[in-house]
Amino acid sequence: MGYKKIKKDQLKTLFNELSKDCSLFVPSGSKGYVGFDPWDGNSADFTEWYRNTTIPPKALFFPPVEAMLRFRKGEAGYEIEELLPNGRPQIVFGVRPCDARALKITDTLFSDTYRDPYYLTRRENATIVGLACNEPCDTCFCTSLDISPGESQDVDLLCSDIGDELLMEAVSDKGEDLLSKMSGLSEASGEEESKAKQLGDSAKEKITRQIDTSGLLDKMRSSFENREYWEDVSRKCMSCGICTYVCPTCHCFDICDENNKKDGKRVRNWDSCKFPLFTRMPMENPRHEKWRRIRQRYHHKFEYFQMNFETIACTGCGRCIRECPVNVDVTEIIGGIQAL
Amino acid sequence: MEGDNVYLPHVMKIEKVIRETQNIKTFHFNFKDESQKSKFSFKSGQFAEYSIFGEGEATFCVSSSPTRMDYLEFSVMKAGKVTAAIHELQEGDEIGFRGPYGNWFPLELLEGKNLVFVGGGIGLAPLRSLIWNVLDNRDTYEDVTILYGARSPADLSFKYDLEAWEKDDAVNMYTTVDNGDEDWTGRVGLIPPVLEEIGPSPENTVAITCGPPIMIKFTLMSLEKLGFTNDQILTTLEMKMKCGIGKCGRCNIGNIYVCKDGPVFTNAQIQNFLSNEF
Repeated sequence: MGYKKIKKDQLKTLFNELSKDCSLFVPSGSKGYVGFDPWDGNSADFTEWYRNTTIPPKALFFPPVEAMLRFRKGEAGYEIEELLPNGRPQIVFGVRPCDARALKITDTLFSDTYRDPYYLTRRENATIVGLACNEPCDTCFCTSLDISPGESQDVDLLCSDIGDELLMEAVSDKGEDLLSKMSGLSEASGEEESKAKQLGDSAKEKITRQIDTSGLLDKMRSSFENREYWEDVSRKCMSCGICTYVCPTCHCFDICDENNKKDGKRVRNWDSCKFPLFTRMPMENPRHEKWRRIRQRYHHKFEYFQMNFETIACTGCGRCIRECPVNVDVTEIIGGIQAL
Repeated sequence: MEGDNVYLPHVMKIEKVIRETQNIKTFHFNFKDESQKSKFSFKSGQFAEYSIFGEGEATFCVSSSPTRMDYLEFSVMKAGKVTAAIHELQEGDEIGFRGPYGNWFPLELLEGKNLVFVGGGIGLAPLRSLIWNVLDNRDTYEDVTILYGARSPADLSFKYDLEAWEKDDAVNMYTTVDNGDEDWTGRVGLIPPVLEEIGPSPENTVAITCGPPIMIKFTLMSLEKLGFTNDQILTTLEMKMKCGIGKCGRCNIGNIYVCKDGPVFTNAQIQNFLSNEF
């Protein structure tokens, strides 16, 4: 199947149609920050203003807070009710290539050895419609991690913004299927295809920030014992955890019970390795010092995850750089390690 | 629970509560839904997530032996919110239980070997699962030596086990306390020097140890003095856990996840951990 296209002023109609049979999520600023929100029937203009969301699409599959089960105590003791996602098909429209890669990365973790039914049920029911980047942020460095702003094999369907129209190309069978169900599309010309490619190339050139991943495993390894380095780079960190919150691959969580013993829910919440309580045990805390927690985070992303799953758990989305209140910059930290 | 949701707990019934010490209790428990019992199996060394509904989950090993499946056991030291709630449990109360998780003591490697168990305090809990497992197949193993120690006579857990092993001619049993009291007529001394005094031969022997970090540290030094190599020493590690299945991100030591890759390791494996954070 070749490239299709749709006029941007037809998106609203398309979204209304798509949202009849499934849950459709699009970038929106309605909460005061940019995130993926359910389609509200109205705001299809995100292609005009949005570069990337503040909260990554992981939140749709691994919500910040989710009830896993309900327990109730009756005459016959406890009854457990499983609270799995409902399995309704979802379409997520406008996912950037970095975030699509991030989902593939968290897929490996949540399907490794033990299936995580909450995350995977949502993932299996989702179709990811990507949106290539024409204007990367100055914090972006995806190209250092084998990601291209203009293309993606990690989505089901990829859109490119060529001006008044969006070009669409199916990447997976799911994407092909979705494309065949969309009305209001027309065939794209070879010229338009080339334009999309040019825009992708030019976006690539606009990305100047980078990290050097060559030999990084060994460098990470040898930096481990360099306490001075880790103390130095962690000095200004406030342990607020926003870097882990907005990170598209951070997946650490806590499980706790809510309400009372008679009727309550077991809930999973995002947690963060930046918090001192994260690893606290009654008698000791292996990461009570901040520099140990910072070291854990970067070693996890750039070393341990790579050793265990053959990929670095960073996609260069730059959110942690943008959102950090004290300007901790992952590219500086990795650069510093490479320079040690 | 039907289906494949790894996070769903079985409801278990507490059948018996044993006060071991002032802050340690052991619980006998069983499946509320008996049809689930026959589907369940575990191996010595594995752990599970136990929950008090409304309070939350906590991680403990299964301290009974897979050779004795009439009921399961776990032992808990009172230390935080969930463990305090567990200590309130009475016979007939219900808890949540999911597992077993993690690896186990490699029985096939222990066959035909002399075994030296060195346990401190509540660290005997995972060891006793293996000890009973071994004793229930006594002919498969050579000499069995058990050294157990606690701070004081009042801190000795599993006294009924100690007594049974004391009486068992096929077990060399040594009990010691750091500090005795007026009624204590037994051995007084820290575990590592007592171990050196007993002086088990490393020849065709595996040592299995569990206890508080400081005890482990000096026990490992004593074992080394006695000529044990790191391959001949097994231990089980403890880290803060939530999921138990390698996803929640907190129990790693470098790229090793204690919940999924452990909790049982040889000392050689531990020495080879890439990132010895602690």
